[in-house]
Amino acid sequence: MPMLTRREMLWKTGVATLAATTTPWWLVRSAHAQRRAKLVVWNTSALAPQVDKIIEEQCRAYAKQAGLKDNELDYSILGSAQILPKLVASLEAGNPPDIARVGTANAQVYRSQGHLLEVTDLVNNMNQQAGGLFPVALNNVMHEGKAYSIPQSVSPWPLVTRLDVLEAAKVEPPKTWDEFIEVCKKLQKPPRLTGFGPCLGLYSDTDNNVMNLIWCYGGKLVEADNKTVALQSEGTIQAVQLLTDMFKTHKIIPKGAISWDNTGNNKAYQSRQVIFVINPTSIYAHLADSDPELYKTTGLFPIPAGPAGAIEELTTAEWVLFKKNPYPEIAKGLAEYWMAPDNLRVMIEEGDGRWGPPYQGMYDSDFWKRPVFEHWRVMLERGRLFPHPGTQNAAAGEVVATGVLARMTHRVLVENWEAARAVEEAHKKVVEIYARHNAG
Amino acid sequence: MALSMTMQRRAVKGVGNIWLFLMVLWTAIPFYWMVATSLKYDREIYGFDATLIPHQPTLANYVTILYDTPYLLFLRNSIIVAVGSTILSMIIACLGAYAIARLNFPGRALLARGLVFTYLVPTSLLFIPMFAMMSALRLTDSLHGLTIAYLGFDVPFCTWLLMGYFHSIPVELEEAGLVDGCNRIGVLLRIVLPLALPALVVVTFFSFTHAWNEFLYAHVFTSSDRVRTITTGLANFMTEDVFFWGPLMASTVISALPPVLMFLVLQRWVVQGLTLGGVKG
Repeated sequence: MPMLTRREMLWKTGVATLAATTTPWWLVRSAHAQRRAKLVVWNTSALAPQVDKIIEEQCRAYAKQAGLKDNELDYSILGSAQILPKLVASLEAGNPPDIARVGTANAQVYRSQGHLLEVTDLVNNMNQQAGGLFPVALNNVMHEGKAYSIPQSVSPWPLVTRLDVLEAAKVEPPKTWDEFIEVCKKLQKPPRLTGFGPCLGLYSDTDNNVMNLIWCYGGKLVEADNKTVALQSEGTIQAVQLLTDMFKTHKIIPKGAISWDNTGNNKAYQSRQVIFVINPTSIYAHLADSDPELYKTTGLFPIPAGPAGAIEELTTAEWVLFKKNPYPEIAKGLAEYWMAPDNLRVMIEEGDGRWGPPYQGMYDSDFWKRPVFEHWRVMLERGRLFPHPGTQNAAAGEVVATGVLARMTHRVLVENWEAARAVEEAHKKVVEIYARHNAG
Repeated sequence: MALSMTMQRRAVKGVGNIWLFLMVLWTAIPFYWMVATSLKYDREIYGFDATLIPHQPTLANYVTILYDTPYLLFLRNSIIVAVGSTILSMIIACLGAYAIARLNFPGRALLARGLVFTYLVPTSLLFIPMFAMMSALRLTDSLHGLTIAYLGFDVPFCTWLLMGYFHSIPVELEEAGLVDGCNRIGVLLRIVLPLALPALVVVTFFSFTHAWNEFLYAHVFTSSDRVRTITTGLANFMTEDVFFWGPLMASTVISALPPVLMFLVLQRWVVQGLTLGGVKG
């Protein structure tokens, strides 16, 4: 082999490096173009397999109607913990699904990253049907007057209650936090049965449970401008103090709750170790199969009121359509088909209370007249999403993901800080998070 | 009062036995708990009192996973991927390790070190670039794609392990084979590999269990049920904030059986392979 000069060597090395670094990009682009013979759908699995089946059947029925062959539809059901890392990887690779179902804050995060297709026309159409959308469901998909995701469901975090225990003692469900503490103290028989089972570990349910208390005492995370952090307030301090009193003074919360993850409160309720929990209705829907006896004696009640009233947290789910979509009209049509009130009703009612429809006029069927759902509608009307009066965005998502309120709670319950000091520290952390995100 | 030598030996042996017993419990209790939970109803699983022996043993959880979920399909997929990646890893690693151990070529030492470095890169750092490559090659959501992805971990480790073992085999045996008319492949197949049987068993066992247990790549690279493996299928029993413990444990019991059976069959060679390689030199 002839000797290369230094210049030739550098030239060839440069060409080889350029080829090596750009080839994957070109391959991704071409693969992206090639795979587009299929409509790719990622749906998050439901608690009940029959719900998954209904959603898939509806999807296939629509695909057939839209002229897609069976092999042109790629439909997958993914576990709720699976879908987010898969979306991250697929977005990085430039190969996301065409349509996917995600939970409360995620749609706005993908919107802020510029991944989502605008669907204002579709959401406007939905808002004309079945009494229109609940304001909370509508606002959660909007940004600067345009919609970037499609409301799929909305459901409250009620006070899940052991009615059998209350009825045996002839006690009414508590209406205020003071009554709540008294009922718990009266009915509990620790260690086998404790009054209240909030999640207090360093997990997102803790942030949600604590925020719920904060609202009842007049506190909030951020103002409506999504810039002015408002966590540090007398209301927040009172709420944290109330939680501390329930844990340390009244002893109505199991000690182990400080180490629970998001399943801890579910397990405590299902094992009949607590009388009350605050959780999405996944507990209730799951009991239908796992423990029919407890299912029958479980009530879904409004949160006890504090000085600022009784306010429930809400959970929403959305369909998101990604921009890299070869069939935007077909994907939109699919979302529209799923969200047609008659189709949605079948899925929602099969879910047995796991979700509520986002349409205000869909609560007049016999299903929603069941006593257990008596308070559902009022909870949806006054309920809030975590950053209220701010809106869901990446900053609010980071507050929950990094467990700022959970850490604040541990400062008080585990490290014996004063409530005011813990709130001040949490406030500074939230300010830092919002400032970072607002700075871009 | 000083203890006699016999007493000292007995004391050491006694402490050793107690320690061993504790270690056996440490290892066996989770497995037992898994089996026991798989035989309980939800009511008992969630009960206040933890029960060691199921009060009302039931096979309902096994019936659920076998008839109401695509578990058997996941099982089939796991077998295809695990067996496929094991066979391919063995072939590539044997050839690669033999070449590095016995042949002289430029960059041999660099290649040998590179293998170790490749193995040491955490999978969590690689999954996004790997996904981009797999997408580019249209290998996502396919069993053969997953099999190829696993070679990225199995081949470096297996080659590195076999390389060390091949070094310990006297080169004179191979030279005798060459003198008698064997070519290099013949020497590898007829002399080296039979002598390296314990190492081959370890490598097989490693590749198989790795592919069988792997979650992250299977999770990211596959979506549809038709290509999901057991590990990602298990994740379906964790929905939102609810875990379906009964079916989860039943499917875990079944999926633990192949590696356990494999280890029981290959145990003698596995232990030999893991220990011999360390002292030969």
